[in-house]
Amino acid sequence: MNLYVLIRFFIGFLFIFSGLEKLLAPYQNFLYVIQSYDVLPDGFETAAALSSPWIELFLGVFLVVGLWTQWVLTGVRVLLAAFIFIVSQAIIRKLPLTECGCFGEFLSLPLPVVVALDSILWVLTVFLSRKIEIVSFMSLDNYFNEKESKSAR
Amino acid sequence: MTSKNSQFSNKVMTTWVIVVVCVIAVLGSKQFCESARTRSQSVESRVKGDEGAPVRIMEFMDFQCPACASGALYLKQFMVEHPRAVRLEMKYFPLPMHRHGMESARYAECASRQGKFWLFHDYLVERQTQWKDLIDARPAFMLMARDAAMDTKQLEVCLRDKSIDAVILKDKAEGKKLAVTSTPSYFVNGETAVGKSQLETKLKALLNDSKK
Repeated sequence: MNLYVLIRFFIGFLFIFSGLEKLLAPYQNFLYVIQSYDVLPDGFETAAALSSPWIELFLGVFLVVGLWTQWVLTGVRVLLAAFIFIVSQAIIRKLPLTECGCFGEFLSLPLPVVVALDSILWVLTVFLSRKIEIVSFMSLDNYFNEKESKSAR
Repeated sequence: MTSKNSQFSNKVMTTWVIVVVCVIAVLGSKQFCESARTRSQSVESRVKGDEGAPVRIMEFMDFQCPACASGALYLKQFMVEHPRAVRLEMKYFPLPMHRHGMESARYAECASRQGKFWLFHDYLVERQTQWKDLIDARPAFMLMARDAAMDTKQLEVCLRDKSIDAVILKDKAEGKKLAVTSTPSYFVNGETAVGKSQLETKLKALLNDSKK
């Protein structure tokens, strides 16, 4: 186990937790959070409320088990960039939001803290992508790669 | 090459297995959570509207929340325009982030015990901007109680009564069981709507359905 793998697990579990919390509650709760950010057109708000928790969950699960790790890290980066943009525009527009709504009732974070946290996670995923061989320790990617090289011999 | 292809198919197969397991686990847990969400009996003093109304709304609100005030004013107007359409029941859900959330609910519950709940409720939401930023909002609540022609001596006794807190916390616990996390949260004929915008959409849809 190395630090990169620990970070991979940390980000993965964070995404699983965030996705699960939204999926187990009525989707209208997360829809309300999205509506409060006032950034998406009406029709897209519902689509985002229904789909993004599943995306978070799958990215988290695939990151933890280490399958398609490089692609998943790219997906995580895209999602984090979207979160940073959405929360930042709310701060700039001074929307009346006191907390992010990212983790439901379990964790309440003020918007600037969320931007800082997401930015740190974004930078970490860049490091992970660059060290993909070390990151792939204890992963299904590694397992399949080893299997492939054994059968090639 | 064949080995590479076979490993790729194994990876794709594993991906599908993970996706299916996750979907089954989440949908199963969601079903379990939803079946555990039960509702309690209504408190008559906090119910208004026609008893036979086709639309039943249960609202969880915090009197200090601006979105709740906006939702309450919208609902009041809607009920004036469609007097036989809605039966509304109000439940307390004071949020810890609001300094006067609990205190305003205490005053409202005492108003309820004097049969003045809806009048006091309307004062609280209509005058919210005048009291929500005060350090001590109790004088403002007292003024509203006088405007609602409440017995202020009885009110003072009521405010010392610990059972008031129990009523409010019971409502809040019920809200939590129903997965309420934000205010205002509405249950329109049992379906969740969070915030005024979702409520408006639901009520418009129900009105259109009833016209068909």
